Amino acid sequence: MTRRGFFRQDLAWAAFLLVLAAAFGLAKHWPLVNLSFQGKLVAHLEERRAHRRQAQFQGVRTLNLAQAYELFQKGQSLFIDARKPEEYAELHITGAVNLSPEKLQKPDNPDLSGIAKERQIVVYCAEAHCDIALKVAEKLQSLGFTQVAAFLGGFKGWDEAGYPVDTSQ
Amino acid sequence: MSNRTRQTKNRKPGSPRSYKKLDWLLPRLGGVVLGGIFFYAGLQKHYHDWDFADAVLAYQLGPIWLAGLVAAVLPWVELTAGGLLVVGLKRRSCLLLIVLLAASFLIVLGVTMARGLQIDCGCGLFFQRQVGVVAVLEDLVLLAWAAGLYWWELKAVSRY
Repeated sequence: MTRRGFFRQDLAWAAFLLVLAAAFGLAKHWPLVNLSFQGKLVAHLEERRAHRRQAQFQGVRTLNLAQAYELFQKGQSLFIDARKPEEYAELHITGAVNLSPEKLQKPDNPDLSGIAKERQIVVYCAEAHCDIALKVAEKLQSLGFTQVAAFLGGFKGWDEAGYPVDTSQ
Repeated sequence: MSNRTRQTKNRKPGSPRSYKKLDWLLPRLGGVVLGGIFFYAGLQKHYHDWDFADAVLAYQLGPIWLAGLVAAVLPWVELTAGGLLVVGLKRRSCLLLIVLLAASFLIVLGVTMARGLQIDCGCGLFFQRQVGVVAVLEDLVLLAWAAGLYWWELKAVSRY
């Protein structure tokens, strides 16, 4: 048989294996596929995420967009941006300081030394799917900060709502 | 002319038999490792199917029902191609499937990077990885690996 002949044969078997794998995948993950066809997949995933976060970050207070904006307007809360420095530099909530998880790992972090332990702190990350805000909030609580909350909407939710943002350092 | 005679005639004078063993061993070893990588990747996605569906949705490519379909089917394609490659069944067809997977993912990565989305690629084997240059390079390596192995095996089988 020529090379082309072998290639065609390989292609036919590859197609067969693909169909077989697809059939097994659909059968095994039918609940997931069914929800996606009914348009309920996103809601189900949100519910799962909420349950997981509740279990994993039990002691961390969370805020929605309205609650976070209310605290922003009062002007007494410190907003902490838990994203990477380059994301923070591009755009962030007005007045927020950057404190990524990597910076938080450093012992005796100078960024934290000037903050009172009872200061109201709101931590946020990129978007609603991101858990970094919760991790940073949990870490801050372990360091003795008593008024920490995680804003779950993320910077994306804040920006889409048209709330104040800034590019200054 | 018999196969044995043809092999003796075609063997270069003075070439040791170890080269023949290496010629047989290297592609098979390469296939086992590559198959193992994809089998493990498929297993991860299979056991964390809802998390994988979340990762697929984040790419925002196409309707939600398509994301569900991809999340259900892709792990099994990886499991099948990787598993059969490891045990040595239909190796070339499995390599073609892996080339298809890697090439498709490369296109998806390119489109996502062009759109400026900063998301988890859903492709990290041992830790999370963002869509970016590293993910693209990793995929290119896998694509070249699979394509190279396929070409090697096709040449070998069509020689006789």
